[in-house]
Parts: sequence; structure tokens; C-alpha cells
Amino acid sequence: MEYKVEAHRIMSISLGKIYNSRVQRGGIKLHKNLLVSLVLRSARQVYLSDYYGGVCVRSPHAGGVEWGEGDQMDSDGSRSTPDEHGGESALVSDDSVRIPEVSVNGPAAAVEGQDIEDLAPGSDYNCQQSPQEDVGSVKTEGSGSAETGGPGSGSEHCVSRSENSQQGSAEVTATCCTRKRGAERSASAGSPVKRPKATAVPALPPVGGEGEGPEDMDTGNVSSLITIFGSSFSGLLSKEGAQPATDSEDSDSGKICCEQMLPNLNPWSTAIVAF
Amino acid sequence: MKCFSRYLPYLFRPPSTILSSSCHTEADIISTVEFNATGELLATGDKGGRVVVFQREQESKNQPHRRGEYNVYSTFQSHEPEFDYLKSLEIEEKINKIRWLPQQNAAYFLLSTNDKTVKLWKISERDKRPEGYNLKDEDGRIRDPTTITALRVPVLRPMDLMVEATARRIFANGHTYHINSISVNSDYETYMSTDDLRINLWNLEITNRSFNIVDIKPANMEDLTEVITAAEFHPSHCNTFVYSSSKGSVRLCDMRASALCDNHCKFFEEPEDPNNRSFFSEIISSISDVKFSHNGRYLMTRDYLTVKVWDLNMENKPLETYQVHDYLRSKLCSLYENDCIFDKFECVWNGSDSVIMTGSYNNFFRMFDRNTKRDVTLEASRENSKPRAILKPRKVCVGGKRRKDEISVDSLDFSKKILHTAWHPSENIIAVAATNNLYIFQDKVN
Repeated sequence: MEYKVEAHRIMSISLGKIYNSRVQRGGIKLHKNLLVSLVLRSARQVYLSDYYGGVCVRSPHAGGVEWGEGDQMDSDGSRSTPDEHGGESALVSDDSVRIPEVSVNGPAAAVEGQDIEDLAPGSDYNCQQSPQEDVGSVKTEGSGSAETGGPGSGSEHCVSRSENSQQGSAEVTATCCTRKRGAERSASAGSPVKRPKATAVPALPPVGGEGEGPEDMDTGNVSSLITIFGSSFSGLLSKEGAQPATDSEDSDSGKICCEQMLPNLNPWSTAIVAF
Repeated sequence: MKCFSRYLPYLFRPPSTILSSSCHTEADIISTVEFNATGELLATGDKGGRVVVFQREQESKNQPHRRGEYNVYSTFQSHEPEFDYLKSLEIEEKINKIRWLPQQNAAYFLLSTNDKTVKLWKISERDKRPEGYNLKDEDGRIRDPTTITALRVPVLRPMDLMVEATARRIFANGHTYHINSISVNSDYETYMSTDDLRINLWNLEITNRSFNIVDIKPANMEDLTEVITAAEFHPSHCNTFVYSSSKGSVRLCDMRASALCDNHCKFFEEPEDPNNRSFFSEIISSISDVKFSHNGRYLMTRDYLTVKVWDLNMENKPLETYQVHDYLRSKLCSLYENDCIFDKFECVWNGSDSVIMTGSYNNFFRMFDRNTKRDVTLEASRENSKPRAILKPRKVCVGGKRRKDEISVDSLDFSKKILHTAWHPSENIIAVAATNNLYIFQDKVN
């Protein structure tokens, strides 16, 4: 599962680059942003591919209870009741509901700030199956060959997102994390196929209706950001296409996308539980 | 393979900054290097929008062992930073490319471009000035006509050589995206400018109109998958040009076929090796430079890790592939993080098309001899070279035991990159730009 950690890290870095390109002198560089978005898309494909390839094991209360990491965990625990927040209710109430939403939010969540707490339990559900696996150390280099078509159902490692506790930092550094899963967590498997909402399932192919997934989340900034990244680069440029008359394509994309990213770029503290 | 020696450190900035070359300002970074058609002049552009032209001294009989050295001939500010008020964007003054026009009279002409505007500069010498005006005196003050009792004919008297540069044409507002190349046509009447999505054809005399000859902007920008990265006219066929893309392909177009050359005549692309697939495959396959050989029969392309020579008659695979720094293949992730993977290296042919040269990191540059299949890595640095010393070949140690004089991959300095190099059109003289320093090397004189 190292490649998933790697993929996630690359996604974070790519998003940081896209954000930084907005403040660069000379305007947005179309070529570089195109390449970064291609990397982002590849990384996201890798990140999400195995999620649906395998069977995801989870328990109903795993999201609220098990993710113990500092305050977030406590707050998550307290939010385990469905009615507290709109977002969390969507997260916690239904296993099968949670998973596809999470997968959609995963890459976007990598950029989120205060919204991360909402997403963390869910987004961490990209982990799969048998709980007690140790991810080991993250190889941040030399994993260029990390690829889709991974172990599939054999993948067991629970990979959590990186943790960044610095305020206002646009970049997220990935750290290796392992997650201890309770036995109850492994009990139930929320298969995304069972998910009643069809919107999230089409989220599996990298391009497409992922923008609809986050509507369940009802988390404001998140949905707009995800709408952008849901269709990967095309999402970025959709803002461009909206203003062809002004011929300002290459400048608007970064601007608009990053304006939405800005309020969300506070660091989130993810659940990292050492195994 | 010639041995390059006679290291002549032509430092780009005045002596006060020599001492602290590591603390150079960003504006001093050289962004383009180009010899003119005879090799007599060498132009460099920098990030601050300045152009410095060097001229080769005539060989003197007194010192026959000293081949002509290059000295500063002219310095001028070509582009200034601008601000696009409509988009609230600053337009960088960095000179992206310089291309010389063939010399047709005593003056020299070059095209220089930043992200948005191309300018035609005339560089001319003035070594005489008229003296003996009737109506004004030597200081320029108007003389009182009543004091003029006799008329004289003004004569030209020699003066100290003055080299002046004037902007003769300004080709503005032709591009929405950032200009990455310009190329002068062999007809010497037209040139083309290339940005990320479009190529425009200009007449050198006409600044208020250009013709769009390539447009790859999709109707829906969401469908954008590739951009144009470089373009060049064929050296002798004025109707033919090529442009390279970020996807690793090169298209050859014929302007006689149609007004808009969106359909290519030839398509050069090598299928990707599936074994090397990674997150960064697309980035490293993006072509950063494309150059025709002087004889017009071959093409050379530079992507992040390799240089490829193509035969114009064979589209499905290159004739030759040279690994520039394959040891970086396992480091792509960290190179992505520090943005080095986006570096755009250029490549050049020598005058006879037998040797190709390109830059790398750690101030290394590489030469490949196409005939002997030998290659060499050289370093452009002041510490390691003395004047008239032969450049020592360098080697990067990939793994295992490091021999003496080898450098391990991990100790390469990625901030010292050689992106721009130039080769004299007929002699073995090379110009190498290392950040803010310009190095000129000549081969050994027997």
C-alpha cells in the first residue's frame, strides 16, 4: 500500500503547486499547470483505484470512535451521532454511504482546512480490509513505479492522510501512518456497490460525476472545491471556459480555484494512530 | 571528440558581483544564449529583460595563439516588466528567446521576446560624427545668424566607437498565452512566434498584423490535453516547420498545404515504454526543445531525461536516443517536489551536425558524438577550471562504490542547472550559461 501513501502525497504536493502558481509572478503557466494536473489525476486514479478494487471493511461506529488522534478523535467521537452536523450525519449514519463520498472527498480533502475534521473520519476510510497491518515506512522516493492495478483485495494497509499542523501552510507533508483497527471495524463491510446513491459510484472513473458526491456532505467550501477537482484538470479549466470572451483563460483558472481553496487551506489534523 | 579547453570565464555581471556569485540577483540569471549566423556575435538575454551582445575580437597577428575572444559589444534593456490591467497580471520581462537575423548591411538585427511581446532590435555602430555645422556650434547652441560670415561644409570626424541599440519593430498583442519560441524563416522576410496553444506568422516589416498558422486550443478548454512547447522553421525549406508538444510528439507542417496548419504532414512520436510508466511519465516525456540539424535532414528533441535524433523520413521512432542523466529516473518524485522536473533544457547541434550538446545539473553539460557514439560530461565552474586548462571529463557515480573524482547522484546540486547552451555555427566554440555566469569554451589549438 505504499503506493497509496505515495499517491496521496503526490496529490497534496500537486495541489500545493497549483495553489502557488496563482501567486507566481508572470501569471499562471498553462504548461506547468497542465502537467501538474496530469500528475494529480494519475495519483488520484491510483489512490482511488484500489479502494473500489478491494472489499472495504468497516463498522458502523468505526468512524466516530476508532480514529483516535488528539482532539479530532474526541470531537469525532462526539460527532458520531448523526444529527449534529449535516456533514457528519452523512458520514456516520450509514456505512455504505460513507465510503463513496469519502473517496470523492479524498483528494479534495487533502487541501481542506477546517473542513478536514468533518472529513477525516470518512476520508480515512480509504483504508481497507484487514486492520492490523503495518504500513511501515513511507518510501517517498523510488516509488515512481507505483501504479494502478495494485494488490486489489489483497491490500490491507490502512493509509491515513498526511498530517500538517502548521497553520496556513499550503503544502501537506505526507507521513506514514498506520491505523489500528478494532475488531468490530473489520466486521462489517460497507460495499460501495450497495450504496443507494448512484452519484458516488460513477465517481470511481476518474472523470465524471464526482461533483455530485459532495453534495451529500453539505460542507459549503468543500463541495465547490471538489467540483473543481472532481473532474480533475477539466474542473480547473471549466472556470476558464466560462470566460472565453475575456481571453483570460490561463489566469482565471488558478485564480478561481485557489480562491476557493484559500479559506480551506488551514491544516487539518488527521488521525494517525501508530500501530 | 575534441577536447574542450581554454576556459575563458566571461562573467556576465560586472566584477563587483563576481565575488559573490552565489548571491546573484534573480534578474541576472541568463535565460537564453544565441550565436549569430557567422558566429561573430553572441547574444545573451536574462531574467531582468537585458540583452548583452558579445563580439569576437579579430585575430591579431601579434598574438596568433590567442584565438578571437569574445568581449562585450553592446548591452541594452530589451523588455521591461509590464502590467496587464485587464487581467491583473504582471508580465515578466524575462527574455525567453533571442534569434539573430542574417546580416544584410553594416547593422545587426536580432529578435528578442518575453512572454508576450517580440521586438526587433537594430544594433549599429557609430564611429564618426559630423563637425562644422554652420547654424550651431560644437556644443549644439544655435549661433546668431548675424555672426556668420562664411559658410563651410560639415565634415565627418572619427569618434570613439559607440554601439547603440534601437528597437525597430515591436510585435505586440499577438499572443494570449506565454510565448516560448521564435524562429526566423529562411526567406528572411517572415518569422513565427509560438505560445502554448498557437503559432503566429509575422512579416518582419509589419507589426500590426500576424497570421495564425497553428491553433490547438480546444473548443472546450476542459478538453485540453497538450500544449505546444517549441517550434522551429526548417533551415532551408521556407514552407516547412515543426512544433513539439507536451505529450512528447513532434509535428511537421507544410504551409503550402493550407492556411491553418492544424493538420500535420508528419507526426514523430515514440511509443512509451510501459516498463517505465510512473506518475511522472507525462512530465518527463514533454519535449522542452526541438532543433533542426543544419543540413535540414534531422530533428533533435530534448525531453527531461533524453535527447533524441529523428530522421525526417522516419516518424515512428527516433534514429538515436541518448541518455542525458538517466540516474535521475529514480528520483523523479523529489525532482517533482522541488520543481526541477519542470526544467526546460535546450539542445544544440554543432556546425557539422556530428555532435550534439545539452545541459544537466550540477553545472554539468553533456556532449554526444553521433559518429563515434562517445559521450562526455563536462562541468562549467570557476573553481575547477583555470584558463587554458583542459576541461576534465566528469562522471556521475550511480551506485556502489564511488571512485575518486566521481560524484554521487545525491551530492548533485540541482540549483546549478545548465539550461541554455549555444554552439558556434562553424567552429568548435561553445557558450554555456550557468545561472548568472556565461562560460565560453574553445577547443584546443594545435
